[in-house]
Parts: sequence; C-alpha cells; structure tokens
Amino acid sequence: MSAALPRIITVGEGTCGIAAGAKEVQELLRHRFPEAEYRTVGCLGMCHREVMVEITGDDGKQFLYGNVNKKNLPKIVRFHRGEGPLPEGNFIRSTDQPETESAGFLQGQTRIALRNVGTIDPTSLEAFLSRGGYAAIGKILGQGLSPEAVIEEVRTSQIRGRGGAGFPTATKWTFARNAPGEEKYLVCNGDEGDPGAFMDRSLLEGDPHSVLEGMLIAAYAIGATHGYAYIRAEYPLALNYFGKALADARTAGYLGRNILGSTFCFDVKIKEGAGAFVCGEETAMLASIEGHRGMPRIRPPFPAIKGLFGHPTIINNVETLASLPWILVNGGSRYAAYGTPGSKGTKVFALAGAVARGGLVEVPMGTTIRHVLEQIGGGSATGRPFKAVQMGGPSGGCIPESMFDTLIDYEAINATGAIMGSGGMIVTDSKSCMVDLARYFLEFTQIESCGKCTFCRIGTLRMKEILARICEGKGTMEDLTTLENLGPSIREASLCGLGQTAPNPVLTTLKYFRDEYVAHIQEKRCPGGICKALITHTIRNDKCTGCSICKRQCPVSCISGELKKPETWVIDHHLCINCGMCAEVCKPDAILVQ
Amino acid sequence: MCNRSLEAEVDSEKVRHWIDEIGSEPQAAVPLLQAIQGEYGYLPRKAMDLVVANTRINASQLYGVATFYAQFRLKPVGRHLIKVCHGTACHVQGADRLNTSLRHILDITDPKEDTASNGSYTIENVACIGCCSLAPVMVIGETTYPTLKGADAQRALRQHARERNEILPGNFQEVDQ
Repeated sequence: MSAALPRIITVGEGTCGIAAGAKEVQELLRHRFPEAEYRTVGCLGMCHREVMVEITGDDGKQFLYGNVNKKNLPKIVRFHRGEGPLPEGNFIRSTDQPETESAGFLQGQTRIALRNVGTIDPTSLEAFLSRGGYAAIGKILGQGLSPEAVIEEVRTSQIRGRGGAGFPTATKWTFARNAPGEEKYLVCNGDEGDPGAFMDRSLLEGDPHSVLEGMLIAAYAIGATHGYAYIRAEYPLALNYFGKALADARTAGYLGRNILGSTFCFDVKIKEGAGAFVCGEETAMLASIEGHRGMPRIRPPFPAIKGLFGHPTIINNVETLASLPWILVNGGSRYAAYGTPGSKGTKVFALAGAVARGGLVEVPMGTTIRHVLEQIGGGSATGRPFKAVQMGGPSGGCIPESMFDTLIDYEAINATGAIMGSGGMIVTDSKSCMVDLARYFLEFTQIESCGKCTFCRIGTLRMKEILARICEGKGTMEDLTTLENLGPSIREASLCGLGQTAPNPVLTTLKYFRDEYVAHIQEKRCPGGICKALITHTIRNDKCTGCSICKRQCPVSCISGELKKPETWVIDHHLCINCGMCAEVCKPDAILVQ
Repeated sequence: MCNRSLEAEVDSEKVRHWIDEIGSEPQAAVPLLQAIQGEYGYLPRKAMDLVVANTRINASQLYGVATFYAQFRLKPVGRHLIKVCHGTACHVQGADRLNTSLRHILDITDPKEDTASNGSYTIENVACIGCCSLAPVMVIGETTYPTLKGADAQRALRQHARERNEILPGNFQEVDQ
C-alpha cells in the first residue's frame, strides 16, 4: 500500500481527543507537513483510539489513524513521504482497505443525531451549511409551514425525549403551543449530569449548529421568542463552540429578529450550569436559570404551561434537538422506520468501562445490548468476562450479562429495573464489585439531593450508610430487607426524578447480584476484590523480582525487602491501607489481592 | 489554618464592573458568582459583600446559591487546581488511587484538607468531565490527563510542577515504569 503527500489533515479535537494529546499531534504534523490544509473536527466516536488523524493525500486517498502520539508520529510521516511501510499499529482504515476494526465499530450504527459529529469543523458555519445545515428551518420558513405542521411531522417521527424519561416530544410541544401567553421559552438541556454519559458534550462540541437548528425548530413549533441553552460549566469547549455558533448564526440571519426574512424572531442566551445534578430536572433547571438554588417544585403546573419566569416553557435535551433537523428534512416517517413499536429512531450511547472499543455509538432502537457491547464495542477489554452493564447512571441500574439480549427499547429496559437514561453504558467485568458500585451511586445521589424531600434527603443517606457498612464487612442480612423496604418508600415520597430513581442502582444490584451482598455480609469477602476492608494485598515471592517499585510507590511505607532478593519482600498488613497502588505498578504481577 | 495566606485581595472596581456587565437582578446570582470564582478561584467574603451591597440579590439568596452548587467554594484554593474525575467509568477504573497518590505526593494527610501546605496545589473531586472512554482522568489547570494509574498521576503532577517552578511538599521518590 502506498500513500501520497498529505493535502488535507483532519485531527479529532473533542475534549477526549484533546485530553489524549490532539493539540500536540496537530502541532507536530503542521511542522512536518506545513503545506497541508488542516481541519479540526469533534469526537469521531472511536474514543478508544484517540488521538485520531485522517490524512487525505494529493491523490485523494484517505487514511485514518488512531492512537497517534509524538512517539509513533514519525512512522506515519515516513509512510506519507513514501519512505516507510504502513504504520500497522496506528492504521485503522483507508480508501483502499476499509475492512479493519472500524468496520466492526461502525457496523450496525445509524448516525442521525451524530450525523455531522467528527465530520465537520464545529466552529465553521460554512462547513455546517455544506452538509445541509439550516435546510430544515429554511424549509419551514421558506414554505411557510405552520407550527402545527411542524409538530405533526415530529409526531409522525414518534421521537421521545432523549434526556432519559422518554416523554413524546410532540405531545409536550402541543401543551406549550396551546398554553395561553405571548411570551414563551425554549430551553436546551445541556446539563448532562449523569456520570458516565458524554453524548451531549460531544454533540455540543462536534456539531453545535445542529443543536441550535433544533432549538429554532422547537421554538417555531411552540411559538417561543426566547431561548436558553443550559450547559455544564465542566464542558468549557462545548460552551465555547456553542457560543461561537450563536454569534455566527446571528450574523448570518439564522438567529435573532426576522430569521431568514420571515416574521419568526428567536434568540438564545447561554446559561452556564454550576454543578448540580438535580438541575437536569426540569423545574430545578428553571429555578437555576432564574438565579435560585436548583430545587424542583411540585407539578402541576407543568413548565409547558407555567415555566421560566411564569411563562410556558419547553425543555428539550441536546440529543433530541440535534435529531430534529434530520426529521424535518427527511420526514417523520423515515425516522419512525427505525426502532421498535414503542421506541422509534436511534439512540446515542456513551460506551465506557471494561469494553474494548469505548466511545460514542448511535444505534437504531431495537438493537440488543449484546450487539452494542460485543459487535460494536468489541467485547471485553480485559479478557475477563463481562459481569454487567450499568445504564441510566444514578437513576438507572445494572443489567447482568445473562440479560444482554434485551432490546434497546424504553419499556424493555425499564422492565429490567434499569432505565434508558441519557445513554451512559458502563461495562463491568468480574473484577468489579456490584455492592461498591451501588454504594458509589448512592453516595452520588445523596450528595446531589437538593434536600427538599425528607425521603430523598434522609432515605438516601440511610441507604448509603447501610451500603458503606456492607462494604466494610459490618452488614447484616436484615440490612438487605431494610434496603428493599426503603427503596419503594423513597421512590414514592420524592418530588422529582432524582429521588424517584435514586434507589434503582441498589434495587437492581440486590435483584441480580444478591450473592455478592451475601458474600460481603456472611463470608466477609468481596468477590470482585474491590472493598478495601475485605481484601488483603500480599507479595507472591515466586513472582517478585525484588525491583522495589512497590515500596517506592506505597503511600504508607508498609512494604519492605532487599533489592533483587524476592524472598525478602513483605507487606506489613497492620500498616497497609489496601489502596492498590503497589498492585498497579507491579510489572511481574506479584501482588496478590484476595 | 494553612489557607489563610491564600486569601485574595479583592478589587472592588472589578466586582462593580461585573455587576454592570452581568446584571443586578436575582437571575444574575450564578453568573456573578462564576465571574468572581473565575478570577479568584473561590468566593472571597469581600466580593460577596460587594455583590449584596450593589445588587437586588440579598445575602441569604447569594450564600444559598453559593453553598448549593458544587462549583462554588468559599475557601481559598492553591495556585493550581487539580480536578480528579469521579464519574462512574473513572470510579470503576480506580479514580480513588489517583487521590491516594496525589495526596501522598502533596503530603496532605488531614482527610478534611485538600490543599498542599505550601499553597501550591488543591485537589478537588468532580462528578464527571465527560471523558469516560479515557478513564481515569484528571485535569490540572486547563490540561486533561487521560488513562492514568496512580504513578502516572504523580508523574504528570511532577512535570506540571517542574514547568511552573512549583515545589511539591511531599516526601516521595521517583517511580519509573
């Protein structure tokens, strides 16, 4: 295989790409190939292969490389100068040779929400327009489509809110459309508080104009004149790119007064979130925009009737909004052709954890979890078998490997006790502890509870205390009954989704991994080898080389031995805090964790 | 309190400028606090007083908001902030070890303390920075460090400190891998 000198070099510079060193890689490439044209795109989805570089040669052939860094970059440079062989380790695919691992990753994916992410420069309005951007709002305003007709098209698509709860978007819009009031608001929910989900970040970073176009469509449909984009402060790149998209769209006449010469007026302000998970809840988010603590309130009245500053307000998730232009251009029925009877279209998932190919995937509803994890995700990253997949973050639950044939469908996922949620999929293998995972989520929800409802405030605290006790080997079998009783009470007596779903991680792990709880309680054993109070670290002298790396890394100086004398190395268990630092650095794998 | 020396000098003119720019209505509370924290790294008492005196936001609302959101701090921070991600993916892949390792190198032994005694670095745990495929992750200043083990975190911090002439207070030894 041969390559020509680069004409266009594209580097994936989403937050994940930058974290992996994309800026440095681009800088080095510019130095080596100053004559090439450089393009920056968002996350290409294959986060497991960051930094990703696509090189288009003078002959038009494209080569995609992954895991590029300053060490292996010279090989790629030599190849494109015709001075060396194909850099096998980095090579993913080329125009000549498409059948590589990327085929597995991309097979079964249908990119609707992510159609432009990783393909276009997110800071360029021209790039967006060249991909058919703003065609949907152009069609609506150009053809004089009525708001009702827009709602009807969205109703035909049967799209349900992608934020997690899955409420039919068109139905929600109808409430706001019919609500009395001259002034209406449209809010884009870009708060993405679920630990483990990053699709909203990738969309806002990779294709901000599509989200904005979705906001324009929704605003037109409900009759809103003002919009807010509530975006997490933890996503600086998303804030930056979305801000630029707003400014460019305003200058080009896609935002502001009399959009595209019509009577439609709509403008958007960015509101930076300040780090409160509960603000993902509609009424809490509105309180936050109004400048208060983000605490939910009793509904009704629903925000669609009485929302921001007392006016009818619709809150749509980033992913929902990004899908709308596609629906308006291609027709609702084409969108509804994907999926199951109850869940139409596609859903974006953020794959992470013990999976070989972590990243961003978009699949039609009705795909099985197993297909996503094994075919697209490439199976286990560690060689150990999968144990479970955690879906829906702190509001969701753990689905065991035995149920991986479950279809991705709102109702089917709900039936397992987990929820679709915003689309985080964290995969765990046999070296994970499901009790620890439940404790982790409860600690999260307990901290994030706004405190308004007693059951959420105190109930989650008690659950967390019980789980911490079990992780320390001090639990009793009665604790399990208490957890099972507390769960439904917290669900029923909480005002908002946070409390109503907080017990899910505990109840699902209790249902599917009860044996792990029992092992902690009765055998004082953590089967995953995670819970510090129940494990010990020991040096296997038969494997030890006496290199002393563990001693140098130990934060409590509990390891001793003589250099190059493996038989002398020991861990003082009275001092050891089981932090696992020694096992992490030990090259011959001589630290036994039991 | 070792952090006393880190108290910021508040420029009243700057705070008034932010109020002019952002607004003085209750809905300006969060952006005003974000502007103050962006400048000083935390919310100094004097800046808070200036906001209360020059806006329609009263002290209970302002402090209510400041203590509600995870982003805000009422305590001074070190010269550099280390954010350790504790999202689900980072948690299951050993984010805890990053904390152990960083606290060790910064010699922070008091579990209630998060700033090194010489005011160089502050460790903060954050919920999720959205780089789940590269877990575990930490951010120092503006730089994100992916797929870290405890020893990698130390190495990254040592390099960061070297480039900025910061002295690390911890008694540690180089670990080569």
